[in-house]
Amino acid sequence: MLNGLGNLRTLSLVGLFGVLGFSSAFANEPPASEEPGSVSVRLYQFEGSLPSEDPNSSQWDSVPSSEFNLAPQVHWPPRIQEVTVKSVKVKGVHNGQEMAILVEYADPTEDAADAAALEFMVGDNPAHFAHGQEMLQVEGGPVNIWYWKNESGKAVDMSAKGFKTLETQPHQDIQAKGVWENGIWKVVFSRLLKTEDDQDVQVEEGEWKNVAFAFWDGAVVDGLVKEKGGQKAVSTWWYIRAEPSADNSIFGWVILGLVLATAFELVIVRKLRKGQAV
Amino acid sequence: MKGPIISGAIILAGMFIFLKFLLPLVTAPLPASLIYLYLALVLSGILIYGTMSASSLEAMMGPVFRFLSGKGQTGASQMARLAVLVMFPLLVGWQTYSRLVPSDLPPAENRTIHPAPPGEFVGLANPYPKTPENIMMGKGLYAAYCSPCHGANYDGKGPAAPGFNPPPANFSDPGTIAQLQEAYLFWRIKKGGVGLPVEGMPWKSAMPRWEEELPEEFIWKIIMGEYDGAHQTPRTWEEEE
Ligand code: HEC
Repeated sequence: MLNGLGNLRTLSLVGLFGVLGFSSAFANEPPASEEPGSVSVRLYQFEGSLPSEDPNSSQWDSVPSSEFNLAPQVHWPPRIQEVTVKSVKVKGVHNGQEMAILVEYADPTEDAADAAALEFMVGDNPAHFAHGQEMLQVEGGPVNIWYWKNESGKAVDMSAKGFKTLETQPHQDIQAKGVWENGIWKVVFSRLLKTEDDQDVQVEEGEWKNVAFAFWDGAVVDGLVKEKGGQKAVSTWWYIRAEPSADNSIFGWVILGLVLATAFELVIVRKLRKGQAV
Repeated sequence: MKGPIISGAIILAGMFIFLKFLLPLVTAPLPASLIYLYLALVLSGILIYGTMSASSLEAMMGPVFRFLSGKGQTGASQMARLAVLVMFPLLVGWQTYSRLVPSDLPPAENRTIHPAPPGEFVGLANPYPKTPENIMMGKGLYAAYCSPCHGANYDGKGPAAPGFNPPPANFSDPGTIAQLQEAYLFWRIKKGGVGLPVEGMPWKSAMPRWEEELPEEFIWKIIMGEYDGAHQTPRTWEEEE
């Protein structure tokens, strides 16, 4: 027979077992699959120097890639209905100081006006993927654009907040190197994870940021460059992160959990054996 | 003796199967956290029922306590008790781990697909009559301006669609425009992705702000053409009430 106190104790004991059991069985959502089509770029940790200068470096071979579809820019005039670059493979690495991002895409001809760009949100306000254009109900932020063009052989560090506001930054912080071979462009962009420039995206290990892509096929068709300015292949925002180092403090907490649970059991069993509750 | 425990377990298992597997046959699957909440409610119901009187409490809890205390146990039940005592700390350890391990996944996208429209768009009626000419004109405009993203077949599979996240809406899906009023579409088409409130994540939307390019007349006619082409009808005020 049980008295009122025993009653309460029973309930809390059974409740605790129940909650723990159920939470482990059902409370964890299954992880979202990243296939098909990637949702993020991961900058994997590297020791030592990065393959920033050489898109063909064998160091890139072991780095897993993400792949993103691209669309003809039909969001805003001047539109284009058909573009050359349909998708891009992206790889990334960092060494705690610097990062390097490799984009690889098919373009059957090498042309002077071929170009590639990465875009990032800057600051805490979300920026619209189309050059940080104005949003009506949300205060948006600026974007940082890394623009590489074949004929200049280098990358330009740019900023925008709204259409027609694209400008070259006073402070140039990025490098890029492109190599075209057998119908494939490989372009590596590199920069320090963090810069002093508040027009730049700042990359913190472990923190998710937003990235978008744009590519121009500079082939000359009937005397005109096929894709330029707003006429390009684009994506909307995807995620990017510099992978953090492993955190071993978790195992301390797990051991604490094991110890507490065992102690809890010992107390309960002792009480029961002494016949206090039943 | 074990009656109440076993029937309680059967009720819980039945409830779980119902929520997890049977309900999704008729509606959208429930999120795991909601299933968990419902099961916790059922469990507390069972417990309250089982502990209402001293005798039902003894019937329900007596066997559990005797099992845990280990008094006078032999063979299989001794092994079972040991297994429970070993499993429990492991479960706690595993829970701790899975709660603390840093998520390797990008932030979850809790984007509201149909946020509330601004007040000035509520209750507007299409000022143009649904004549075959108007519908025809709307379809022509749709083909010119909308089909690159939303698709010539109104299915969201236009040639530009694969690059965009979120993808262009599929109007032939009963979850999009059939749920909406014409006034809502008028707002969405006029103001585009950038017109969404924060819960709609406007910064991700490729939906153009058509007021910059199309007169209102075109937008109303496109709406007619869109419903007709997608074989859907707009939601009306009467249904709302
Ligand atoms: C550049 C691609 C693009 C074009 C062109 C485009 N849309 Fe969209 N549209 C989208 C995307 C992406 C979404 C989903 C995101 C959102 O709701 O903003 C969308 C959403 C919508 C919605 C909201 C549907 C819902 O269920 O809430 C409507 C209505 C719509 N579009 C109508 C049109 C019409 C009409 C046109 C032509 C005048 C058009 N769109 C042209 C990309 C486009």
